[in-house]
Amino acid sequence: MSRLPPLVIDNGTGYTKMGFAGNSEPSFVFPTVIATHQSASSASSNPTNASAGGRAPPPVASKPGHLASKRGIEDLDFFIGDEAVANSKTYNLHYPIRHGMIENWDHMERFWEQSIFKYLRAEPEDHYVCLTEPPLNPPENRENTAEIMFESFNVQGLYIAVQAVLALAASWTSSKVAERTLTGVVIDSGDGVTHTIPVAEGYVIGSSIKHVPIAGRDITYFVQQLLRDRGESAAIPPEDQLRVAEKIKEDYTYVCQDIVKEFKKYDADPYKYFARFSGEHSVTGRKYDLDVGYERFLAPEIFFNPEIFSSDFLTPLPEVVDTVIQTSPIDVRRGLYRNIVLSGGSTMFKDFGKRLQRDVKALVDGRIAGSESRSGGHLRSTGVDVNVISHKRQRYAVWYGGSLMASTPEFYNVSHSRVDYEEYGPSLVRRFSVFGSAV
Amino acid sequence: MSNTLRPYLNAVRATLTAALTLENFSSQVVERHNKPEIEAATSPEVLLHPLIVSRNESERVLIEPSVNSLRLSIAIKQADEIEKILCHKFTRFMMMRAEGFVILRRKPLPGYDISFLITNFHSESMLKHKLVDFIIQFMEDVDKEISEMKLSLNARARIVAESYLATFA
Amino acid sequence: MILLESHSIIIQDVLTDRFEKPSRMDIQFVDFDHVRFHLSTGESKTQVTLSMGIHCWPDLLKYGAREHLQNEYAGMLLDPSQTEPEYDVSIVIDLEKIPSSQEERTALIHKLSLFKATAMSAPFLAAFEEESALEANYKDPAGASQIDVEQSVDAGELKIVRYREEEAMYIQARHDRVTVIFSTVFKEETDRVYGRVFLQEFVDARRLQSLQSAPQVNYSNREPPLEIRHLPGLKNGEDCGYVTFVLSKRHFANPTQAQSTILRIQLFRDYLHYHIKCSKAYMHSRMRYRVAEFLKVLNRAKPEVAVVERRTATGRTFRTR
Repeated sequence: MSRLPPLVIDNGTGYTKMGFAGNSEPSFVFPTVIATHQSASSASSNPTNASAGGRAPPPVASKPGHLASKRGIEDLDFFIGDEAVANSKTYNLHYPIRHGMIENWDHMERFWEQSIFKYLRAEPEDHYVCLTEPPLNPPENRENTAEIMFESFNVQGLYIAVQAVLALAASWTSSKVAERTLTGVVIDSGDGVTHTIPVAEGYVIGSSIKHVPIAGRDITYFVQQLLRDRGESAAIPPEDQLRVAEKIKEDYTYVCQDIVKEFKKYDADPYKYFARFSGEHSVTGRKYDLDVGYERFLAPEIFFNPEIFSSDFLTPLPEVVDTVIQTSPIDVRRGLYRNIVLSGGSTMFKDFGKRLQRDVKALVDGRIAGSESRSGGHLRSTGVDVNVISHKRQRYAVWYGGSLMASTPEFYNVSHSRVDYEEYGPSLVRRFSVFGSAV
Repeated sequence: MSNTLRPYLNAVRATLTAALTLENFSSQVVERHNKPEIEAATSPEVLLHPLIVSRNESERVLIEPSVNSLRLSIAIKQADEIEKILCHKFTRFMMMRAEGFVILRRKPLPGYDISFLITNFHSESMLKHKLVDFIIQFMEDVDKEISEMKLSLNARARIVAESYLATFA
Repeated sequence: MILLESHSIIIQDVLTDRFEKPSRMDIQFVDFDHVRFHLSTGESKTQVTLSMGIHCWPDLLKYGAREHLQNEYAGMLLDPSQTEPEYDVSIVIDLEKIPSSQEERTALIHKLSLFKATAMSAPFLAAFEEESALEANYKDPAGASQIDVEQSVDAGELKIVRYREEEAMYIQARHDRVTVIFSTVFKEETDRVYGRVFLQEFVDARRLQSLQSAPQVNYSNREPPLEIRHLPGLKNGEDCGYVTFVLSKRHFANPTQAQSTILRIQLFRDYLHYHIKCSKAYMHSRMRYRVAEFLKVLNRAKPEVAVVERRTATGRTFRTR
């Protein structure tokens, strides 16, 4: 009989994306949050001075001798994802993943438990599992993950992929991609932070990774601030402001090519460009509407001109990308410029890729022109290709890449199987096999 | 605490304290090497008499002293199949994290469930009586933990079975 | 979450969404016990096909699953000839013809999300019917000698549903009860030990006063129970066991009760395995706690070293590890 599709689970800091390999979209996307029924004091037992190894604070579910453990199944009394948020009044919310890395293994284990049994409804014994990890994830974390997956869930096989590599693989669906390569720069922008990660032939160049502290949430705040500055927010009930700002960000914004021209365009014919947003009060149902103006193009502009929003981070994204590539080994730089891949929800703005490509290209061309003139006209450069790839699956690129890879027969060869685990133990996953190396 | 446990632990404590007289000792076989002699076992003259403190058939402690290192192996009580599997899980879980436990051996001696290796560097950088305390506390707690785990497993099973059957009513 | 739910959340979510706003889709997913689903739209995006591939389909077919599905999903079930290749059974939902009221829609979606459960319930329903028939024909045996004679006539057909590669369900009707036997196989030593503890508790829990109305449970390790002992190819070894549920009349007295009993008992194996895994997860968190405690004790043996803040020439602080 045919093999059952592998499970693909991408646990991000903000959201978990999960589903079955071979599909184009995850079946479930919900916040990576778990709501448990414990007293807050135990849950937050000062993580600052947690044991020397930097391990998560010890679990509390099971304080031995405690009366609770006699009853026995408190640890099953929890919710995850949207249900957790809905129950936040009576339960305590915990975010088991911080900065992309799993911090609380007890919560994570239970999060997986419910993800698999309640949502995916899969018997893990029958499936392979593809998980994701952030770049520079410590090997101990991979070992802990393997220990949970193999020992608690008895999965048939496990593959832990680096998110950036999966995002590269996802870009293969774009028509702009001529060859399937695992070399490129991934710009991964989610809710909390934006990473620029160079990858050479499936391996992350750790030393050149750069983080930009501007991402989705900042854009939402910026939209909110702009609305307030223009006096539009008076119409919005205070508790809905953030939600409205988010909605405007998602539905109305785009990246312009020239900010000054865009301002002129708006001023010349505001009726053509100003959009109308109508909302409804979430509690009373009162209707209200407001004008959406300059924020339509200003919001994503903070990636390119961060000074309009923040005062402590001033490097525009194209410059960050250029620096990342310039600090990478010289022999992969061409490949990196040729393949700049976008991933994550905050790269979904219209024309984001186009603008980024133009700006990076301008930086590169400027440098080439400079060195040509310094050589006194003796050297001619053949030029450097700059390609920014955006594609349809960008929002869940990492998950999609995982789904793509896990549906190839090769997946079974590179994953760590149960038999191997029994032979070598958790240290097995320290071995990193690059996916798609044969492609 | 049952009346045989106290003398057992006292005996281990006394033996261990006496055996923990370690000093720096360079290898006599390889120049400029310094190895735990008890593990290397290359010079029989620096090994001392191994000693077993035994409470009953299944619970015993093997202490193997040498000039610069001491190996201590513990066999933990396993009354039945469940305790056996829980004990195995627990020791394995701990040995996986041997990095943090500097004195924990990653593999137990055959016939034992868990082993510790204390070298002179450990006994020099750490307080000796506290090290002994740790071993004793470990022995005390590990039994307690395993029987508690077993109890909670049974309790869980009971609740699970009851909640399933209750849906038929 | 103690109990598992019977419906598929994916079917429910996707259809709820698509009923509002039809759009193209092509989704493959699974359910417990080797059940594969394919939810797709054909040429038109209002024609939604839901196909199911189920491991024990040949068995189910024998016990009238197709007829049962025909009744439940009247007008939607496709002929065997039209069933999607590689799958066993398909239904088509025409989004243009769905009921308009919200309640009816929810009811339809709920019914569709129980697709697997409905298919799996055919053999149970057949057994329940058989039981009624047997009961009607049954004459109270007057003497002990007659019991032996009755015995052979008394039992209904033994229905075997091989719902997993190595595990099967055996269902047999008697004049006063329906016996459901699960063969269970544990692949791993830990699971086997945990599983045995759990199964033993199932047997013991029945003795509770409050659970007297629950079906009687028996568990035998290694030896297959009498009802199925004559079957060839039964495994008996350390790693397998047999769980018997004796459903009495009151568990399927009326259709609603029968339905809930069936939904519950189908998921027995998944329920058991879910809880074995949860217990392991719980043990892990206990061990994490205990190991962290031990580490604290050991670290007490290290003498305190005063932490001095060290600075580089530029005034930045650093730490050595």
